[in-house]
Amino acid sequence: MKMEDTRLKQARALYKDRLRIALAAFIIVFAITFYLFYSPEIISLGIEPPEDPVSSGWTQGFAVVASVNTIGFFSAIALMALIFRFWSWAFLPGPASTFTLAILRGILGSQTTIRHTLGKRFRVTLENGLQFDVNCRIKAKDTGEWFAYRLVSTQLQCDSLRNIALRHGFGVKDNRLVANVSNDELHHRTFLLTKAMMLAGPSI
Amino acid sequence: MEDSAEIASVYELLQLMSSLNDTRRAILLALAHIYPRSVSGVQLSRLIGYSGKSRSLYRGVISHLKENELIQIDQLTPKLYAIRVNNEHPLLSVLVDLCRAQGESARKIYLKALEEE
Repeated sequence: MKMEDTRLKQARALYKDRLRIALAAFIIVFAITFYLFYSPEIISLGIEPPEDPVSSGWTQGFAVVASVNTIGFFSAIALMALIFRFWSWAFLPGPASTFTLAILRGILGSQTTIRHTLGKRFRVTLENGLQFDVNCRIKAKDTGEWFAYRLVSTQLQCDSLRNIALRHGFGVKDNRLVANVSNDELHHRTFLLTKAMMLAGPSI
Repeated sequence: MEDSAEIASVYELLQLMSSLNDTRRAILLALAHIYPRSVSGVQLSRLIGYSGKSRSLYRGVISHLKENELIQIDQLTPKLYAIRVNNEHPLLSVLVDLCRAQGESARKIYLKALEEE
């Protein structure tokens, strides 16, 4: 087992913890919602149940299911799901963002502007005005790798762009330098990307 | 003049190799030693002592190395790939030359590992 960055380990643990807490909270909120919607009077929708002479319980049960309360309950659940989706997109990656920012700050210094949009995207603006994007994936589905990154520079106009890219370990796509980078490479490859972009000159 | 350009390339090669993680570095070093031979994905994962699945090696590592033109992949059959180092890469050609000139005994070890099926 190889040594792992403490910050990475913490970020990963924090990430799992947050998911667990969210799930626990969801169960509680679900129970409360259920109580709130079904403890008051049941308001019927006025739909008649199909004829079933066996029991009167059937009619009563049907009245509960086909009621305004049920519609309200399901809307509340849908809203919760929506909120959870938004939260897990925008705020759940907090630990990953902290980890990423710490690394980028470390290599680029505090003078460089790093704009962090909601979620896991970072846009770095270098001193000469050139920009590149760092996009973080929490867990790559196909490989199970944690915190994998995609580096993409802005479009660069330079005759020897391909040569510069290759010499710094990057590929060229659509006049941009691109690379998929693992978390332990982020530091040094961001460094090389910065160097390559300085050589490649102003963006178009 | 010739010398300083060469030293500059070696410096850049050193920087490039340091920027890669253990797995990618091991792949490039092994492939550069055995160049021009190519290997299959399974052979490669054994050569570098990779413990994960060869599928994740392919998707997570090899495909990325290919995107950055560090290696070349020829698809022989739908399931069989021939992977070798990209000798047209400006820095890896330096590495291949270095391995050819200095890596005779290391190459023997790599080739021996390949023969043991």
